[in-house]
Amino acid sequence: MSLAEILRFARALMQSYDLVAPRRKKGRITLGTLSDAADLELEFPPSVHSPKKFLFPHWDELFRFKLEGNVLLEAESAAPPRVIFGMHPCDLHAVKILDDCLFEGETDSTYRAKREATLLIGVDCVPDEHCFCTSLGTDRIASGFDLFFHRRDDKYLVQTGSEQGRQLLADHAPETMAREHEAPLALQVKQCKSHLQFPTESLPLLMKDAYEDPIWKRLGDDCLGCGGCTLLCPSCYCFNVQDKLELDLKEGQRVRTWDSCQFDQFAKVSGGDNFRASQSDRQRHRFYRKYKYLWDQHQRTACVGCGRCSRECLAKIKPTEVLNELFCQAPPQQQPTNPGSEYQPQMAKVERIEVISSEDRLFRLKIPEQFTFLPGSFLQVSVFGLGEAPFSIASAPDGTEEIELVVRRAGALTQALHRVRSGDSLGIRGPFGNGYPLEKMQGHDLLLIAGGRGLIALRSLMLALLSQRENYGRITLLCGARSIESLLFQEDLLDWHRSGLVDCRFSVNEQHNSWGIPAVDVSYLLRDLDIDASRTIAAVSGPPEMYRQINPLLFRLGLADEDIYLNLERHIKCGLGKCGKCRINNICVCECGPIFPYSSVKHMAEAIER
Amino acid sequence: MKTRIGFFDFTGCEGCQLTVMNLEDDLLQVLQLVEVVEFRELMSEEVSALDIAFIEGSITRRQDRERLQAIRARSKTLVALGACADNGGINLLASDQDVAALRRQVYASDAKHLQTETPLPLHKVVKVDYRIPGCPIDGREFLAVLQALLLEREPDLPSFAVCVECKLAEYPCSFDYGEICLGPVTRAGCRAICIAGGDRCRGCRGLVDNPRTSPYHRVLEEQGLNLQDILEQYRIFNIGEE
Repeated sequence: MSLAEILRFARALMQSYDLVAPRRKKGRITLGTLSDAADLELEFPPSVHSPKKFLFPHWDELFRFKLEGNVLLEAESAAPPRVIFGMHPCDLHAVKILDDCLFEGETDSTYRAKREATLLIGVDCVPDEHCFCTSLGTDRIASGFDLFFHRRDDKYLVQTGSEQGRQLLADHAPETMAREHEAPLALQVKQCKSHLQFPTESLPLLMKDAYEDPIWKRLGDDCLGCGGCTLLCPSCYCFNVQDKLELDLKEGQRVRTWDSCQFDQFAKVSGGDNFRASQSDRQRHRFYRKYKYLWDQHQRTACVGCGRCSRECLAKIKPTEVLNELFCQAPPQQQPTNPGSEYQPQMAKVERIEVISSEDRLFRLKIPEQFTFLPGSFLQVSVFGLGEAPFSIASAPDGTEEIELVVRRAGALTQALHRVRSGDSLGIRGPFGNGYPLEKMQGHDLLLIAGGRGLIALRSLMLALLSQRENYGRITLLCGARSIESLLFQEDLLDWHRSGLVDCRFSVNEQHNSWGIPAVDVSYLLRDLDIDASRTIAAVSGPPEMYRQINPLLFRLGLADEDIYLNLERHIKCGLGKCGKCRINNICVCECGPIFPYSSVKHMAEAIER
Repeated sequence: MKTRIGFFDFTGCEGCQLTVMNLEDDLLQVLQLVEVVEFRELMSEEVSALDIAFIEGSITRRQDRERLQAIRARSKTLVALGACADNGGINLLASDQDVAALRRQVYASDAKHLQTETPLPLHKVVKVDYRIPGCPIDGREFLAVLQALLLEREPDLPSFAVCVECKLAEYPCSFDYGEICLGPVTRAGCRAICIAGGDRCRGCRGLVDNPRTSPYHRVLEEQGLNLQDILEQYRIFNIGEE
């Protein structure tokens, strides 16, 4: 479309929509209703406020009420049909974050009404010195808009991103419909002066160890607590809810207004306690919300690198500087200097090999130096010439230099491992991954459910629990297998059963078995279980179809999503969160898992449902 | 029975009472719910007891102290109206000067019978229940405080700084123009009216509960101010804040 056609299009839109676009106000770009289509601009620096001010405004009526008789009335105005013409890629990303947060769980219908009544038209931008979108990958976008206008020479190529967008063109710029389709243009490569010195995928790990970092104290000392950073942030949505009454004190409205975690009263309760009492606590919370907590939930930062927070900060607090500083002081092992060393195994001596079933052997390895891990973590085992494969650690994280792995004979690599003798050496890397949360489990009742080889990770957990039995409440183990013959760790199971320290229940899928146990699916064992769901944490480990059967039963028992831990093993290759083999939707199992609380994977279609 | 309210004034410019009067239509609506029983700008009656006394001005004479105590005695609730009553406001600019010399300078031959003393905010003389800050007050805030009192609810003032109102309204920061602005430490509630008008914030609404003075002073020092200059900035409206 030529510029003249775009202006005609804008003029036509103004007949049916509130057309919001950038306007110049006191030398700054602010978004507002356009009164003359001729003022439309398509190239402009970041606006003061993001489109959040229209989709999630500072003053939003939730409902009205009458005091007398306590009558509840609906909100007065429906969301006006609106087109926001001038969404930069970062702002479109920010809307996706708002969608993630506000549609999750109980949908925020007030937001949704505005979201559905608003069409978003994207344009490309020119970053200023505060922008760091290129570091976060938010300088480009492939979806999330209705239309996107790409500059090409002195014209624009229009990309449709939705059926409504196409319809908008058909209705208001019909002349374009007959034109030939072209492939969408790639957005311009941008150069941001501010940038992160490391890949964003390192953020969760970086933040994991930074909670006690002295940098928060310094930020707290510098911060003026004005809240400008969060108010201007395109994805911050924390709010307050207040009643505002008419002057006659007969009617009123309940409204929500933007709030800020940077205000000293934000986390204060009526007793006078303040749960984030210092500005350092508050700044740390802001950074964790932006770069850690929402990553844990949605595997993306809640920051889009638009730079609005630092652009208006009197104390000159810049996220890139803070994060780069944290990165630079992170322990050096996170930045291997020897190229490829993170892929090189260390040699471990095989101490003992035990045949534990016709197909399985238990390897006891002497590792070169002791390491800490949580039950459920895994090691990569190498056979030069054949490659590497992951194995769950079967022994307890007891701090010794000996660990145990179970290897089932399957392919070439495991067959080679079965030929290994005591005294030989194997290559190992790791440990990798996140395990079952031993610390959180303290003081709780525990329900361990193992299916088949899922018992390997749970054996590690069980040994850890039994080594400090007094720290835990009731422990119940439900253990299922195809046959007695395939049941792993039979001696351990019988020991635990006889010890009286664990309530063990078994099932196998073969009739008339030598143990005389019921020939049912392991899920049947849950039926007559008497547990106190409010104090129980479940650790489930088995094949994928087992979760589909067990999870609903655990919900029915009353277990909370965050108290159900699943072992979601996948095809793991590099173990470093890079190769992409073990991705569940957007996350890497080797980094974030394989043990996940159900609450953090339930929104991921590939986790359990496939 | 309607709530009986009264307006009283001491040393001040009456701008706050004028702000109330300027509410016009809104004020007429409020009169459906309250009865104004004393208001020198409107009427000459006096009553023996009232529910809410709104008091403007600072206390600068012995007689004023007695009169204020008498108002306190016949009022259930007492509200300081505006900066002069609330924290002394600009009247306190006189607080570090010789009172006798000032009196001669201002009143010349009348100085003898105008026995002024060092100005005091109301709370130095009587118990103040609630306050409405500002020079002058914000009319909408006055209505909100009155509403809260009529509903027997604690009136709440914004606990955040004027910066918030600038950000919400997308006003450019005064510091961007090299102006010294007290917005970062001053209590919001004025809708940043001075910044909207092209001026800077001089702190007429007093400080927020927990002003972030150290980082703020660092910002001021970066602007080239020394400690004396910084105190001068606070002096305009905030001597009473200690």
